[in-house]
Amino acid sequence: MTNLLEVEGLCVHFAGLDALKDVSLNLAPGQILAVIGPNGAGKTTLFNAISGYVRPSAGQVRLKGHDVAGASPHEIARHGIRRTFQNGGLFPAMTVLENVLTGLHAQTEGSFLDVLLGRRRALESEREMIARARELLSLMQMEKMADMRAADLSGGQQRIVEIIRTVASDPPILLLDEPAVGLSPLARDQMMEIIHRMAGEKGVGILLIEHAVELVMAGADRILVMAAGQRIAEGTPQEIREDRAVLEAYLGHA
Amino acid sequence: MMPTQSQLRLRTVLFWLLPVVLLAVPLLVNPYIQFIINSILIYALITLGFNFVIGNLGQLAFANTAFFGIGAYASAIGATSLGLPWLATIPLAGIAGAIGGFLASGAALRGIRFYYLAIITLAFGELMRWLYVHAKSVTGGTDGLSLPRETFLGYSLTDDRVKFYIFLVITVLLFKATLNLLRSQVGRSIMAVRENEVATASLGIPTSRIIVIGFMWSGFVVGCAGSLFALHTSYVFPESFGMLHLIVSFAMVLVGGLGSVLGAVLGAAALTVLPEYLRSFPGMEELFFGLIVIAVLLVLPQGLASLLRRVSPIFIERYYRE
Repeated sequence: MTNLLEVEGLCVHFAGLDALKDVSLNLAPGQILAVIGPNGAGKTTLFNAISGYVRPSAGQVRLKGHDVAGASPHEIARHGIRRTFQNGGLFPAMTVLENVLTGLHAQTEGSFLDVLLGRRRALESEREMIARARELLSLMQMEKMADMRAADLSGGQQRIVEIIRTVASDPPILLLDEPAVGLSPLARDQMMEIIHRMAGEKGVGILLIEHAVELVMAGADRILVMAAGQRIAEGTPQEIREDRAVLEAYLGHA
Repeated sequence: MMPTQSQLRLRTVLFWLLPVVLLAVPLLVNPYIQFIINSILIYALITLGFNFVIGNLGQLAFANTAFFGIGAYASAIGATSLGLPWLATIPLAGIAGAIGGFLASGAALRGIRFYYLAIITLAFGELMRWLYVHAKSVTGGTDGLSLPRETFLGYSLTDDRVKFYIFLVITVLLFKATLNLLRSQVGRSIMAVRENEVATASLGIPTSRIIVIGFMWSGFVVGCAGSLFALHTSYVFPESFGMLHLIVSFAMVLVGGLGSVLGAVLGAAALTVLPEYLRSFPGMEELFFGLIVIAVLLVLPQGLASLLRRVSPIFIERYYRE
């Protein structure tokens, strides 16, 4: 099976500090690869470097064999990588439906002039996208909230809307930055179920940052452990559980 | 609560019915009121364009008066030096305003935000005013430019009733076009940039291009308003495009409601009519004007539009079209 995403020797340099040092990983379709590590290990920097928010100082980010390292975030998103944000990336003053529609931006047809003049091409595409957004919302039992302001939803609902918006365009690769943080145990299970369904049913390759180790051990296919900007181990949950380097990173000594 | 389907249909009917009803205005009012109503149409466009940048795109940019002046001068220069009929100078003014918008967006694209963007765009406005004063050979300097007397299809363009019909058509078209933009992926992207620029880019939306579009459309609308203003006063001179004008248009945006298209009309109408009433308090006009604006904003921080939204969901603005 060919990899969706191949990261090779990725380095990020911040003012004398190696925030990311020679990190490599591969992600296959339908695979859930969890990234764990203590605070400051460089997990979010890894996400930012892959998705174009931070310019890597060296290394490659290949999407289906095509190097995108150094491209801008919207270009990388258009190549099929979508991500969520640790502290929430919803548009609070916009409604749930409007939020999901922004996720379909790249699919919406009609030039600026078509839109300005209200031409049929733009209107038809708009209607099509709204139907699709409503369908996605109803898959998650959120259709009744379509016209609510995103800011008025509970924290768990906001996370789910953000996920819906992120997957609306059927991206082959998802980067989820602590999607379950701050959720109740019930909402957390629901979130993990959604993540599994996307990987299992749609074959989405998922890179997942998660602090709750038990969640990762139960849910991920493979685990990448980071510390101080470096990859210290990678393997199946079973292998990671028995890895000495990981124990040292987490507990100080083995 | 959102408007129901039948309320949405009613809204569309009202949108087109209102200008039709307004066609009767020149038959009913005296020349003084006609002049005020013409001013309201111009200010409604100014507020619409200003609101597009600060309310929808969420950029604290004060280049609005610059766009307005650029449009007014483009129209006046087109009608005098180039000898074009005034009507033909409207698109010219719109394009000139859009170019002004493009220049202003350059600051925002360089990552300049908030206070810094505010001060740079203020400087842009003052720079333009300096240009009007000093580029005497084209702008007429402090004396300004007088528009030649013209007729259109046999009607005199100095007649406020004739101006009203032209202003009304242009205002309705620009409002409709702006609503088309807002209720589309373009408008949602513009608001997404306001809400969270970083997350917007992650959805594959080219945020830089969206910022340029936002500024240019604002410049286009306000530039067209400048062209109408040139005919309205038949005289364009630098003092019309100073700080006072900027503050009044900013107040119109806020009193109407930040980010609200309906609010643009309400804010422009309220603050154009108010000074006329205050004329009976000579010497106290500015004081009362200021106090009333403050009072409205204290009671209705979301502007007059929020008052109407409370009355009926028909006034709730949605940013999609089914």
